[in-house]
Amino acid sequence: MRDALRDPANQVSPRARSLWFAEAVIVTVLLVGGLVLLSMWMTGWEFLPQWLLDRTWVASLVIGLVLVPFVLAEPVVRFAVHRWELAADVVYARSGWLSRKWVFVPVSRIQTVDKAQGWLERFFGLATVEIRTASYAGSSTIKGLDYEVAARLAEELSRRAQELRDDAT
Amino acid sequence: MPFQEPVPEAARLSPKLLLIDPIRVLPSLLVPLAGVLVAGGFSPRSFIWAAFGVAGSVLYAVVRWATFSYTITGGRLELSRAFIGRSTRVIPLERIRGVDVTTPFLHRLLGLAVLKLDTGAGGDKQEGELDGITVEEAERLRAVLLSRHTPVAQEQPAAPQDHVFLRVPMAWLRYGPLSGAYLFTPFALVAGAVGLAFQWGGELGLDEDDAVAAGEWLWGHPLLLVGAAIVLVVLMPFLATAMYAVFNWNFVLFGRGDHLVAERGLVNRRVVSLERRRIRGYEIAESPLERRARVARLWAVVTGLGDSQTRGQLLPVAPRAAVDDIAAEAVGPFSEALRPHPPAARRRRLFRAIAPWVVLALVMYALGYALIGVAATVLAVAGIALGLDRYRSLGHTYDGTRLSVRSGSLRRAQAVVERRAVVGWTIEQSWFQRRAGLVTVIAGVGAGSGGYKAIDAGETQAAAFAAEVTPDWMAPFLKR
Repeated sequence: MRDALRDPANQVSPRARSLWFAEAVIVTVLLVGGLVLLSMWMTGWEFLPQWLLDRTWVASLVIGLVLVPFVLAEPVVRFAVHRWELAADVVYARSGWLSRKWVFVPVSRIQTVDKAQGWLERFFGLATVEIRTASYAGSSTIKGLDYEVAARLAEELSRRAQELRDDAT
Repeated sequence: MPFQEPVPEAARLSPKLLLIDPIRVLPSLLVPLAGVLVAGGFSPRSFIWAAFGVAGSVLYAVVRWATFSYTITGGRLELSRAFIGRSTRVIPLERIRGVDVTTPFLHRLLGLAVLKLDTGAGGDKQEGELDGITVEEAERLRAVLLSRHTPVAQEQPAAPQDHVFLRVPMAWLRYGPLSGAYLFTPFALVAGAVGLAFQWGGELGLDEDDAVAAGEWLWGHPLLLVGAAIVLVVLMPFLATAMYAVFNWNFVLFGRGDHLVAERGLVNRRVVSLERRRIRGYEIAESPLERRARVARLWAVVTGLGDSQTRGQLLPVAPRAAVDDIAAEAVGPFSEALRPHPPAARRRRLFRAIAPWVVLALVMYALGYALIGVAATVLAVAGIALGLDRYRSLGHTYDGTRLSVRSGSLRRAQAVVERRAVVGWTIEQSWFQRRAGLVTVIAGVGAGSGGYKAIDAGETQAAAFAAEVTPDWMAPFLKR
């Protein structure tokens, strides 16, 4: 898409990298921990062949090792990809990591604007802005914004949306 | 409810409903009643208990009928029920987007109807239902509920002249099985019968051993099984046609005032009216068989219509020419040719249609299941034709007022949607699409399925498409 669309103007907060890293670590720890528990439980399964019973821990180790580069790469890649912009009364946001997603939401079609903050986001001083229209494909979620930026954006969008409200659909 | 003047317009459902309600609960009562009678050895006492059961269900129906009322007042429809708990549901009339009147079989015998409301508040959720009003009352309410912002008319205004667009000829019923949807009717009927046998068998004193014995007996007579299977397969087109005919009997599409009304069905006559100013486009779907026979199915894309696959239907399976006529009548003519997607899209369609079967075949050969391996190989070869056809289906275009996208092979669907219905754009690119330089561009539409996709368009092509339809929105972000 480099040839077709320009990058949205604004980056998300640099602290979003910490958020994504923390999220990835938590998911990985839960997954690998679950596998370890499973393998400890499996040692009691006598119907499995002996060579497998001796090596039930291999799966958790392999999956843990495979996931490490992903955990390290995801925050960096996401920080490069996730960008947003409000220009000419259109919200333009890009997100994704292995896959990419570009969303264009005209302010005149916005139905609701939400500002949300989970406990992990609160810890890093970040927030998420959710913009909804009548269609899932016209709705956007911008994550990893600085709390102040998110608050200003949400405020600006809902004010503008009210001014421009156009119920053509 | 606090004391208040009785509202003059408060109305109840028709008392004739009391004849239907006990009959409707009867099947679920039958087994317990029979159980009571059998267990009691048909003694007078067990008859008394059974009579209590029947009387109870009648009483329940009476109480339900007596405690439910509906009112149209001050631009609102209020449905109130005061049975054990009290509840009042208030539906502003301007939020009612459609009214659906059906007459199930028992209702029809007594001249009753079921009226369902569409409020478009959220997806498939039904927001209001009046089950058991007279047909005349249903017609009156339909007129009242759909005449927005006008005072409730006490007298029925002169019925607007209906303009019939199409009365589907009987001969078209033969196209029914081509869609494939009804082809498995015989198997569904057998499965239903077996399920019923299990359910009722328990009550009649048959148990699992009998079922196993029956299964073993059948297994011991393979000729019988094969014969039954052949009979079922032979019956497929006939039963499918019959089933399809029951649902689509005497399909009529007509205009009434500012509504399009579709009426169909033999046993359960179904009437769906769609407000014309809420229609934003249409969708045409065809299976390969239907394409060969030059027939297709047609739906309207309507804002705020739940369950649009059933209710938005404008035509049963009909010749393509008729479909195009009705689509042009309901929405507007659209004849713009679709623009093809890049060759990389063809490679992707082929890969996706073939690769899973090749992998399966290799694994099965390796494991020694040659038969499954052969079957998977056959499917992989068939995947070549399927993938090529899927690529041929892909396309998108814009004619200045409406955009159109098409995809699919076994169910090739083309949507035509008005530009003003577009509320935003999403462009998606998976990791594999990025390798191929392709994207899926989705026009967000506040109607129908919510989004219409142009799958595997070229990157520049996709951005140009969005910019062509909504130049004001996209221009600031395009690279020149």
